[in-house]
Amino acid sequence: MTVLLWILAVLAVPTLIFAVWIAGVFLKEFFHPSPDDGTEAAQAAEKLGLLPAERQSTDHPAPLPADWAAALDAVRRGDWQPAAELLRAIGRDWDRRTTVIGHLATLAAKDDEWLLAWEAARPEDPDAAVVRAQSTVYLAWELRGAKKAKYTTQEQFQGFHRTLVGAREEIARAAALNPDDPTPYVAEIWVALGLGYANAEMDKLWAEITTRDPHHVGAHFSALQYWCAKWRGSRQLAFDFAERAAAEAPLGSLLTVLPLIAHFEHDESTDTAADNTPEMVARVDAGLADAAAADPTHPGLAQLRHLLAFYLHLQDRHEAALEQFKLVDGYVEALPWSYRGDGAAAYYCQVRNDTVRAVAAEA
Amino acid sequence: MGATLRALRALVLLCGFYLLSLLLLAALAGVDVAAFGSGLHGPAAVKLFIVTVVLAIPVVRGMFMLRTPRGEERAGVPVTEADEPRLWALVRELAAATGTRAPDRILLTADVNAAVSEESRLLGLLPGPRRLYLGVPLLTGLTEAQLRAVLAHEYGHFTGGDTRLSALVVRGRAQIARVIGQFHAQADGKVAAERARQEKASAKRVAEGKKAKRVDTGGTGATYRMMAKIYTAYGKLYLRASLSTGRAQEYAADLAAARIAGRDATASALREIPVLASSHDFYVDSYATLGLPVRMLPPRGEFFGGFGRLLTARERELAELRADLPTEPASPYDSHPPIAERVRRIEALPADGRAEEAKDTALALLTDPQRTLAALEDAVLTDEVLAFRRTAEWQELLEASMAEGMSSVRTPLHQALADYTGQPATLPALLEVIDDGRLWRLAERLPLSEEAAAAKGRAFREFVRPRLRNSLRTMVLAEFSARSLLHWEFSWSRAAAVRLPGWTSENTPDDGPEAALDAAVDAALADHPDTAPLRALLPPAATQPA
Repeated sequence: MTVLLWILAVLAVPTLIFAVWIAGVFLKEFFHPSPDDGTEAAQAAEKLGLLPAERQSTDHPAPLPADWAAALDAVRRGDWQPAAELLRAIGRDWDRRTTVIGHLATLAAKDDEWLLAWEAARPEDPDAAVVRAQSTVYLAWELRGAKKAKYTTQEQFQGFHRTLVGAREEIARAAALNPDDPTPYVAEIWVALGLGYANAEMDKLWAEITTRDPHHVGAHFSALQYWCAKWRGSRQLAFDFAERAAAEAPLGSLLTVLPLIAHFEHDESTDTAADNTPEMVARVDAGLADAAAADPTHPGLAQLRHLLAFYLHLQDRHEAALEQFKLVDGYVEALPWSYRGDGAAAYYCQVRNDTVRAVAAEA
Repeated sequence: MGATLRALRALVLLCGFYLLSLLLLAALAGVDVAAFGSGLHGPAAVKLFIVTVVLAIPVVRGMFMLRTPRGEERAGVPVTEADEPRLWALVRELAAATGTRAPDRILLTADVNAAVSEESRLLGLLPGPRRLYLGVPLLTGLTEAQLRAVLAHEYGHFTGGDTRLSALVVRGRAQIARVIGQFHAQADGKVAAERARQEKASAKRVAEGKKAKRVDTGGTGATYRMMAKIYTAYGKLYLRASLSTGRAQEYAADLAAARIAGRDATASALREIPVLASSHDFYVDSYATLGLPVRMLPPRGEFFGGFGRLLTARERELAELRADLPTEPASPYDSHPPIAERVRRIEALPADGRAEEAKDTALALLTDPQRTLAALEDAVLTDEVLAFRRTAEWQELLEASMAEGMSSVRTPLHQALADYTGQPATLPALLEVIDDGRLWRLAERLPLSEEAAAAKGRAFREFVRPRLRNSLRTMVLAEFSARSLLHWEFSWSRAAAVRLPGWTSENTPDDGPEAALDAAVDAALADHPDTAPLRALLPPAATQPA
């Protein structure tokens, strides 16, 4: 019996030592977690003045001008007049107008009390009419939801379809009230996507837009979605559209973003070989030149910079990538991040921090 | 493996079915003998004996299930040669042409089906009396030439085809499929589920009460389920082994039909039958049984007679259905190959120049179709249903049943409104809720999909609006109906159309009471609701709170 106890005691000693060691490690890790690579890079990014994921805005691709933010805040409080004033001040700057209308319509798609008040006060106001049309298009897409067709219910599709059909009337009304404005037609591109306009019909719609504004960034962005393989076009049609528009536009018009988007939408490879072709390097270079020449307050500039940062990173041009990241940091509602939904900010920060680390390693 | 070898293998497997039963019985008996032999006595021995007997019961039943159950004649009108000389002549002629024995009895039934049954003896080895079941709806929908094709196909199964054995195999398939079906029904408690389902559809069941078979639910239990598993597994093995034989037999029967009745009649009959089957289901649900909830029947002879009129009126729709053939077999064990494939094979045959033969409806073969249709009602409908009041015409039947339906209608909106207000759900109460600006609060109580329930603001309103519109429209129609202001237009070619007060045939879709109602309903359900147009449309008494 005594022998047995001795044997047990001898066995117990190493077990006990092991248990104590494990507990120690656990406690230490619990109170002072050892920094892994990710947090090191995050700290490095923070030192450069770049923000952590939780402080990235997922509402916009870039900070809003002060007067825009004020108008949107007023609308949230139910006051439409600053918005009406803002649109009047923007006037015929179509790219800005379309962008502001998009922001207002996003709010109106959720709650349109303020818009109803606006319409009641000024029944024939073309600005209210175009916000109405655009908001109904957004509402339709909200009804559909962002899932693939097989995860979308019959009820969602019916609501989507019904609302898009209704939106066409509102678009026609807005276009009639302000014949020079391309914005109603840009809104109609999303009707074309949803209702499946034939390519010929889309070409007709496109002609309405280009006669009003040949280099409208928002219109090109929307039309490229139409021509993508996942909607009503194909890989070939999307690239044809994107390359032609980029080639025909003057420097600084920001349309060099289109070939990057076409590539992003149709790239299904899992490595970076496809992003490092001479063609892709040339597209990124063209984008850099375009961005440098563009109006620094253009509402489409941030989207180009986000994609440039992404592809510069994938091409291991980390210094240049970091430069772009620094210019857009704080706002991540843009391709390629926005397709990650709730994970957009985390994805952006992961790629940005990788860039920061790579720059530090090169130095 | 040739056709004969395959058939032989299937036949051996069919014998194995009996062998399996005998083996199981022998094993059970062996257990008893061994137990008594080893000196087991007293209560334990009795207990063992009882257990083995209980286990043996399903085995014995299984063996007998393989027999065609006797006296299972379906409800129908038996017709003698004196009653229907032309039909009998056709049947005899086809039997002679296929080289088989003509039936001993012909029964006209109420389904879209033609079947020849034979009460064979000695496990199907010796022939017995034959019955031909011929569905009157089939006669209604087929031409004489198509009927010849269908009958020739049925007889084709009796003439052996490529091998004498395959006829036996095919008959074995039908019987084993039935055994498996019965075991399944009893073992999985499917019987109970089926019964509950049927009781829900009570109206239809009453109508066809004489056809419904009582299914014995006794003997369920663990032992039964185990036996069922053994038999089912074996049965599936047999069905799979004999599938090719069964299919070959179907193709052979199709060929025989094409030879006797003509290529085009055979192909078109194959196209027609699935169309007739689904049209007939539709007819029974939407027309024939329309008045059952209000205890009314269509005029005498019309319960089955209306089907012909429906087919004529909906010819264009049917043509579309005919073009769209099922390409999948009905089940993995169904011996019938997909219709599309059968039609393809028939239509690939060389033309025989018989496309224009016997284009009259097969119903015209009967001496007095009206009398037969009336007799069929007596034979098939239950006494309870036959006692229902006969309406003078279909229009009257429609009006009565719609008025009844309208008086008892209860939409999801009724339920939501009663929940919300704690009062009986009435139209005035609803209009009051809308006027108070609480429509969207009320709408939250409707049964909603996950997406609709998660939506907010405008999106929520868009999601619920179609449902609200349907319910509100129905409530308004019910209000009109309760005051006898509503009429329904009967049609064989369309769904019954509602006629609001003030309707005339000159109304265009954008004008008239229908459009006014839609506009008023839309206004009442707008983001800023306005019930005034709806109140203006309603009879004054209907808008006052009760």
